[in-house]
Amino acid sequence: MTTIDRRGLLGTGLAATAAMGLGTGASAKNPAPLAPGRSKADFAGAMKAFRSVVGAEWVFGDEEAVAPWTKTYIPDPSGHYKPVGAVCPENVEQVQEIVRIANTFKQPLWTVSTGKNMGYGMTAPATPGQVVLDLKRMNRILEVDADLGTCLLEPGVTYQQLKDYLEDNNIPLWIDVPTVGPIASPVGNTLDRGVGYTPYGEHFMFQCGMEVCLPDGRLMRTGMGSIKGSTAWQAFKWGYGPYVDGLFTQSNYGIVTKMGLWLMPRPPVYKPFMVRHPEMGDTPKIIEAMRPLRVSSLVANCNLMMSASYQLAMFKRRNEIVPDGAPLDEASLKKAAKANGLGMWNTYFALYGTEQTVAAIEPIIRAQLTASGGEVMTAAEMEGNPWFHHHQTLMQGGLNLDEIGLLRWRGSGGGLAWFAPVAAARGAEAERQTALAREILEKHGFDYTAAYAIGWRDLHHIIALLFDKSDPAQHAAADACYRELVTRFGAQGWASYRTGVNSMDLVAQQYGEVNRDFNRTLKHAIDPNGILAPGKSGIV
Amino acid sequence: MGTRAVLAGGLAAAAVLAMPALAAQKLGEVQPPRAPEQVYAKVCGYCHGRNVGPVILGRHLPAEAIRYVARHGQNGMPAFRPSEISDAELAALADWISRADARTGEHGQ
Repeated sequence: MTTIDRRGLLGTGLAATAAMGLGTGASAKNPAPLAPGRSKADFAGAMKAFRSVVGAEWVFGDEEAVAPWTKTYIPDPSGHYKPVGAVCPENVEQVQEIVRIANTFKQPLWTVSTGKNMGYGMTAPATPGQVVLDLKRMNRILEVDADLGTCLLEPGVTYQQLKDYLEDNNIPLWIDVPTVGPIASPVGNTLDRGVGYTPYGEHFMFQCGMEVCLPDGRLMRTGMGSIKGSTAWQAFKWGYGPYVDGLFTQSNYGIVTKMGLWLMPRPPVYKPFMVRHPEMGDTPKIIEAMRPLRVSSLVANCNLMMSASYQLAMFKRRNEIVPDGAPLDEASLKKAAKANGLGMWNTYFALYGTEQTVAAIEPIIRAQLTASGGEVMTAAEMEGNPWFHHHQTLMQGGLNLDEIGLLRWRGSGGGLAWFAPVAAARGAEAERQTALAREILEKHGFDYTAAYAIGWRDLHHIIALLFDKSDPAQHAAADACYRELVTRFGAQGWASYRTGVNSMDLVAQQYGEVNRDFNRTLKHAIDPNGILAPGKSGIV
Repeated sequence: MGTRAVLAGGLAAAAVLAMPALAAQKLGEVQPPRAPEQVYAKVCGYCHGRNVGPVILGRHLPAEAIRYVARHGQNGMPAFRPSEISDAELAALADWISRADARTGEHGQ
């Protein structure tokens, strides 16, 4: 039914959609508010000065022109998270000028690289009145060292651009992608401490050296980057004195204009696996079996342990599995999972190495996972399965946008908020987390569409809160549900490792007043006018 | 170096001539303007016609509506900003999509 509706809308209604301005929330009667204490004259003055730097065609101020920066998936029933403008510099000098102007007019700037973090807020700022500083035009690949396995990038480079460059030039290095690689930025994802699925999946761990435009417009290089003649900017992370790179991640202390990253040499052998477990209750067994393999690095990549519902939501619609309005019961899920070659939990990992090393490790891992009750599958058995293909692609740094399919699980309104609480990698904790998440989600009428990313010693519980944003009741319920998830998980000691603009302050509160005060003290010292991304990670 | 090599070289040159603006990105330079086929392959085509988004080729959708939806996003589809796909690239892309034939192998959901 929904399928037919969507197709009908696309086929016959596109022109009408364009004419009506559907889906933008745009309204000439409700312009986005300016930053606190700023007048229309201040805003106009800043925008005029921005135009003198980047040219009129790269400054966007009226409501229709700003629309591409306002599309979000997160719950925002009150329309709070909207920018007032956007400015798109093409080089570092222009960024410095924009920052100086922002100080003059006290105009806050919300910096984005490619602005494609999906359920975390896209290009929307955390507080009203900000102009998006959109760095996508700065997309130079500045250096690639094939011997050292390093690169130096500008923020607007996408994973697609980097991969194309490596392939065009026959450089045998891999990239490590998050799930929306083609349109996302290695610099942006690393700054938000995102993860990927090769052995280089903990992105910030593989970052080396930054150039940062400070809130006063000066440029600072971290690590070895400020030493004239050093060849080690992308080779040695720590430099001398306090290690400061972390201060520029998930923060608003500077604008990262260049970043060094380490790239993994393409291994001679890559062998992906999928382990199917038949019951939702198998959660602790899987994690207990996988942890020693991860801690010892016998399994070197970040595993994804995907629930059947999360997997099905990528390529199916909810009403193909249960009727609209009915709960997503376990029997229906099991039936759909089985019909699609899936278990109730599907854990993906890969081996990387030579013929000999892979052959030596594989039996150890098979024995351990089979003993946990799992069926260990490889490409030989899973050929043609779209879910296996998706993960086989990700775990070698391949590109796809399959996960955008999640947005159609429930109606066509495109609602998604990621909730990502962290725990230690222990089976008993995961079991409690899953039970709590299901209780809260089901109470608000939503499904447990979730995965665990099993890191080196940690678990990221990645919960996709999927809702139909075009349905006001669901939209409001999703907002309430998200807050309850954050609050009740936090009370158990499980706080988010990263969160959307709709909940940055809420999560910051959980990390405590001493931590907030330290962040605030730094902020006031280096950005006294508060012009860089107020509200990012709850820092104002 | 025989006829085969000469033939292969000639074919490669012909292929390059037949594809406008397929310049690869160079070290230290921003991405050069892309032809519609490239934008489709590297952005749109990951979803449309491949499990995730509806088929849009071969349906003669109006170019104006394509431009609008690309800039605003629709439902699950993200919005693409002028900083990502320039106005000139988008105009050519929308025109190309609206005229393109259907592709075998593409499928919607």
